Amino acid sequence: MDGTGSPFRAPVIALDGPDKVTGAARYTYDVSLPGMLHAKVLRSPHAHARICSIDAGRALALAGVAAVVTGADAAELPDPYYGVAIRDQPVIAIDKVRYVGDMVAVVAAVDEETAYRALRLIEVQYEPLRPVMTIEEALTEGAPLLFEAPAGGAAVAVGDGVISLKEPRPNVLSEFIYRNGDAEAVLAASDYVFEDRFRFSRINHFHLEPYVNVARANGEQIELWSCNQDPFVLRADIARIFGRPANAVRIHSSYVGGGFGGKSFCKMEPLVVLLALKSGRPVRLCLSLDEGLLTLTKHAGVLVLKTGVMADGRLTARQSEIQLDGGAYSDASAMTVVKAGYRITGPYRWQAVATRACAVRTNSVPAGSFRGFGGTQASFASESQIDMIARRLGIDPYEFRRKNLLAKGEPFQPGDSGIESDLLAGLDVVVDRLRYRGRAARPVDGTKRQGMGFAIGIKDGGGTNHAQALVKVFPSGRVIVNAATVEIGQGATTALCRIAAQTLGLPLEWVRYGAIDTDHTPLNNGTHVSCATTVTGMAIERAATDARRQILQFAADRLGCSASELTLGHWSVRRANYAHPLEPMITGYFGDVGYEFIGRGGTMIEYDPQAPFGARNLFWIPSWVGAEVEVDCETGKVIVTHLVVGADSGASINPQACRGQIEGAALQAFGQSLFEELRYDGAEPVNATPLAYRVPLANDLPECWESFVVEHGGPGPFGAKGIGESGMLGVGAAIANAIEDAVGVRLTQIPFTPERVLAAIEAVR
Amino acid sequence: MTGAIDITLTVNGRTYRLSVRPRRMLADLLRDELRLTGCKIGCDQAVCGACTVLVDEMPVTACATFAFEVDGKAVTTIEGLGCAGALHPIQQAFLEHGALQCGFCTPGMILSVKALLARYPDPDEPLIRQWLSANICRCTGYQMIIEAVRAAAKARGS
Repeated sequence: MDGTGSPFRAPVIALDGPDKVTGAARYTYDVSLPGMLHAKVLRSPHAHARICSIDAGRALALAGVAAVVTGADAAELPDPYYGVAIRDQPVIAIDKVRYVGDMVAVVAAVDEETAYRALRLIEVQYEPLRPVMTIEEALTEGAPLLFEAPAGGAAVAVGDGVISLKEPRPNVLSEFIYRNGDAEAVLAASDYVFEDRFRFSRINHFHLEPYVNVARANGEQIELWSCNQDPFVLRADIARIFGRPANAVRIHSSYVGGGFGGKSFCKMEPLVVLLALKSGRPVRLCLSLDEGLLTLTKHAGVLVLKTGVMADGRLTARQSEIQLDGGAYSDASAMTVVKAGYRITGPYRWQAVATRACAVRTNSVPAGSFRGFGGTQASFASESQIDMIARRLGIDPYEFRRKNLLAKGEPFQPGDSGIESDLLAGLDVVVDRLRYRGRAARPVDGTKRQGMGFAIGIKDGGGTNHAQALVKVFPSGRVIVNAATVEIGQGATTALCRIAAQTLGLPLEWVRYGAIDTDHTPLNNGTHVSCATTVTGMAIERAATDARRQILQFAADRLGCSASELTLGHWSVRRANYAHPLEPMITGYFGDVGYEFIGRGGTMIEYDPQAPFGARNLFWIPSWVGAEVEVDCETGKVIVTHLVVGADSGASINPQACRGQIEGAALQAFGQSLFEELRYDGAEPVNATPLAYRVPLANDLPECWESFVVEHGGPGPFGAKGIGESGMLGVGAAIANAIEDAVGVRLTQIPFTPERVLAAIEAVR
Repeated sequence: MTGAIDITLTVNGRTYRLSVRPRRMLADLLRDELRLTGCKIGCDQAVCGACTVLVDEMPVTACATFAFEVDGKAVTTIEGLGCAGALHPIQQAFLEHGALQCGFCTPGMILSVKALLARYPDPDEPLIRQWLSANICRCTGYQMIIEAVRAAAKARGS
């Protein structure tokens, strides 16, 4: 289905907007329970050490302190470890600490101030161990081991013929090996083979609502108010860790103040539950933003690409070696490795592909999901190298891409689904906006040089592959949509309600997105991978269709006709020329309290062993980026003067929200390209505090900053598909490509700080 | 200073006489005692601007302002601006221009814009960018916020 006939052209006020502009919106941050205690965490000053002893006696004696939890408490849990696929992270450090910032003890007290004071009274004896801080160090023979014993869990499941390994070598968490054809032989037969190496940096999500959870234990029941974006994933983890049946665990979600992947999967939530169990009172743990910087990061990494090409500019094969820095614990690293490894080919046609990707354990902040999930690392390396090869061969980078791009409908890799987007059409928009064709010679202004570059990012929209939904229609025609997609700012509330409203022929204002409570809300497997509008959206569309069928059948029974004679609109049924209002019909039959028509719907992406991921990818997320830069050869300072970023929504359910998603993601990638980075100096992070950690501000924006959305159709409701991560992809490469265009040097390490740019310029002087 | 300090302040037009501890921060006073939870604390270090409120019409970071410092002053929080159905023009502009996503920065951002427009009724783009740089938004990429500010200025001027 293409998006040209979209019924969603009219602008809409976001359903969550009025609460958010008036301060009425309630976040988990605002949850307060009677008798609630406040918790604070003692963190490790060592990157790698054995915990010899912890004496919390003085802390417990402090007035106002209710409970202290340490690894000794965690060790007694039925299963104290969590992580995605591979589970190696303890609820709180049990025998060792593995990074500066690792959680060692936690205090619950009457207020945060008392909890802070108590932390200073806890005495911990450590036996320091030699830390491994870089991928290279971790892989050196004889390097200290982060883990002496195998972790729980299993490798990420993949399709037939694809290899996914758990802990294959010392300090390696996971490995993904993918082959299509004989890359070695094809490279040997290629006219040119280029090998290039790229380095990617760490950044933090920096969601403004800190990590916050409130837990309450009541008899057998555990209740948690959580900022987590995956309530059902969390429910399963809490049930497993505490050895309770899942129906004894209840998760409440409110508005989430930003996530970007940072709030996905289990993290400190079980620790809050443990405190609530131990103290017998509700407990709130709200991390500071400093602690957030020590909780999760995007994967730094090294990517080595060996790419073959024929003299006529046809790409032949690509061999990739990817090593991502997974940090101290698994979190979502195993998944990220699989995604980065698969996406490294970019949107091009290959005779053969061979990829090895792994996550390496180091004594640094755990790395996990970050908007784009391995795709930003892959697209930076891939789209940088594509440009480098074009320039080396003297081929125009646009022509080089055009020649090799996958056509619409062509599968990304054998066994996978076809690309729905017209990749060249999107690139053409960028090229036009840059006025790339027939551009004038690059002007020179003193020490400043100008250049332009572009890139095409691509990732799969896999991930969340099943969802259930309820659509409840009241006698008045008012509707509640129940689904587990969490509103993290992506606009899910409005988009999902709009799908239900459109299906039922009702005004959007009549539809409300129900509060999320795992006791009542139908399940999905997380708010991930730009999937909500498509996967949960399809479940809602089906639920609304089911409700509509029930309503028509009810009316047909009352009118003594067949449902096929009736149409639904404006909360009336129409039969021939007569409209019959539904409200009196329903209350007349059921009485004043009325009735709820409850429609049910579900989505499940089927298993397919022929597809590399074990399921054909539901849709593809491309992005098209163009950048114009001005580089000062004297200072190395890069100013992006023009940035244009586009994406394909399939068909926009809410065009304004689509634009917001692209621009928001692109600015995150922009910051990472130029300055934003969580930096380490030896074993310690040097800027893990909001004062020193720099994120983009309004005055960092490029002078000319524009976005666009194309609608090439998708598998979701009304032709929609996901768009939330798209803007992250390709920005770094487009800027690097523009820098080379301006000054003839290549930056292969992100961010492109003045120091690095200047060093690169001076190296060729 | 150890004992409690008696202060009188006006919040959203209502006068309060309160006894506060010397270390009590304005943000905590607003949130915990007055239940004005629209004041959000992000970084707690006067960096992100989420806790921005107006004190005598000037934007301040409530997380880094002692409660006693606002003795005798008038505080405006987001709850004092408008409510659903009777929104302030800046709130309306933010809604119409999609200038918010997760919404956590939004109350502080809107109050910051109110202070901007009070001082510069017709700000140009560089000034808007400069002024908004006191408030971090991690979601939107700022452009739609800038458009909302321009629209609010226009609505105010007309």
